[in-house]
Amino acid sequence: MKLAFACLVFGLALLPAVATPFFVNFVMTQTLILGLAAATIVFLAKYGGMISLAQLLMVGIAGFMYGNAALDGGARGLNLGWHPWAAAGFAILVTTLVAFVLGAIASRSTGIYFLMLTLVYGVIGYFVFAQIVEISGPGGITSIQRPELLGPPVLLYYAGLLLSVAAYAGFRALGRTAFGLALQGVRDDPVRMASLGFNVPLHRALAFALAGFVAGLAGLLNVWWNGQIDPASISIGPTLILLIIAVIGGISSLKGAWLGAFVYVLVLTYLRDLPLVDRIGLTEARFNTVIGVIVLMIMVLSPEGLTGIVHKIRKQFGETRP
Amino acid sequence: MTPVVQVHDVTVAFGGLHALRGVDLDIAPGERLAIIGPNGAGKTTLFNVIAGDIAPTTGAVVIKGRDCTHRPSRHRPRLGLARTYQKARTFSGLTVCENIYLALAGHRGRHRTLWRSAADRRMRQEAAQVAGQVWLSGQLDVVAGELAHGQRRQLELAMAVAAQPDVMLLDEPASGLSRGERERLVELIESLDEQLTLLLIEHDMEVAFRVAQRVIVMADGRQVMAGSPDQVRADPHVHQIYLGTEGA
Repeated sequence: MKLAFACLVFGLALLPAVATPFFVNFVMTQTLILGLAAATIVFLAKYGGMISLAQLLMVGIAGFMYGNAALDGGARGLNLGWHPWAAAGFAILVTTLVAFVLGAIASRSTGIYFLMLTLVYGVIGYFVFAQIVEISGPGGITSIQRPELLGPPVLLYYAGLLLSVAAYAGFRALGRTAFGLALQGVRDDPVRMASLGFNVPLHRALAFALAGFVAGLAGLLNVWWNGQIDPASISIGPTLILLIIAVIGGISSLKGAWLGAFVYVLVLTYLRDLPLVDRIGLTEARFNTVIGVIVLMIMVLSPEGLTGIVHKIRKQFGETRP
Repeated sequence: MTPVVQVHDVTVAFGGLHALRGVDLDIAPGERLAIIGPNGAGKTTLFNVIAGDIAPTTGAVVIKGRDCTHRPSRHRPRLGLARTYQKARTFSGLTVCENIYLALAGHRGRHRTLWRSAADRRMRQEAAQVAGQVWLSGQLDVVAGELAHGQRRQLELAMAVAAQPDVMLLDEPASGLSRGERERLVELIESLDEQLTLLLIEHDMEVAFRVAQRVIVMADGRQVMAGSPDQVRADPHVHQIYLGTEGA
């Protein structure tokens, strides 16, 4: 397993040498960003039993905060004109704090109620940015530059790869620490955890803050990659897309988040290039229908998403081998 | 000697339903007390009030001289109180070792470390030791959700024992156990520290009377009788409650 993971990371690190710049800088960078954001949904679901629809909001908050802090003169937003790295730190700090507060408010809810509450966060967040134009535009913040260090697009790809690997390994390792085990205890039986002396709501809030922190990193990459951010990008549609990415990959599989993102970006990018798709009416406007059918097929075939399918195939192979 | 646990005139009402109607109870340090009574008598509710899972409607709970009536259950372990649940509430996605580890971590307030320290390793070793006490050494790395029913009860008990409490509340530890398993359970309870205060809800009279020094009989939210196991066994009123001759 570890060897396969190392090979994969090594392969991805060498990818820019063999693949086209479009594939690396467009397809793969976007995959890594969306995967990193979706991984925070998986982290909360897998270890905390919390399905959050507020993770894209965290991505958006980090993006807007960076845009407001880093730009100066002429551009839209607050134009604070800070140093890019100071702006990045500020964006992450604000995102994490907001996540902690929102997590604390939701920390006594579970299951469908938690899901609904985080959906409400997403909707409120969207309207906050859509209506307070001083911090979002009007019509979005544009021409956002990334720090000089990440100037060439390929370096952004490497930043995405580095953060993705760190998040994946970090979440995995966290699962075996006292905090991670306690979080899983909270998932399995919060009443018992309380009687063992744990502060259950605090644990949930801290986990939510941690997920917000990582989603904030994805938000920074996203705004550096896009060069702009507008309220529509965190509206309800994209919010659901992020959840769908997590579901395609398998909601309880961390690597599934990136797998789901890869499939999503592939469909998004190459669907229109397939021969004959125009003839059967699959224009870009029907893209969501295609994604919907894919999700439906995956859910029917394997509730654990693509990761579940991979596991099944591997099992079959293992059994037929002598 | 001042009691370790005092329950003063506790009433618990769920809407119009009175689960407890004015229960008084003093438990001396080191005492072994069994609570028996038919289903719906309020035994588990009384446990939940003492353990802090339910706040009483009226009345007070004092543990080691501290008023704990409205303190949530998470403050109890630091007062030296541990409990088990009637239906085993283990963490089904975690291993036996991790379940016991969490019991230790909760007691010591080590909830939020993000790295695995030397103290952490010691706690895992301790967890393995405690697992040995309840004959689960062979299942250390088995996920709790995959344990047999009897083993899950052993684990439940291990999680209470792990924190080395002064007061332990056991809610029907013998329910659903085979004869042999019950025998081991009694053996285990008898092997616990003599200083330990033990409160036990039990339907199995044999277990209750062997372990306890004092037996309380509850019915319909009230304490109807208290006495030594022999006294309770001989009491005709207790027979009546259990066999239901009244109003049948």
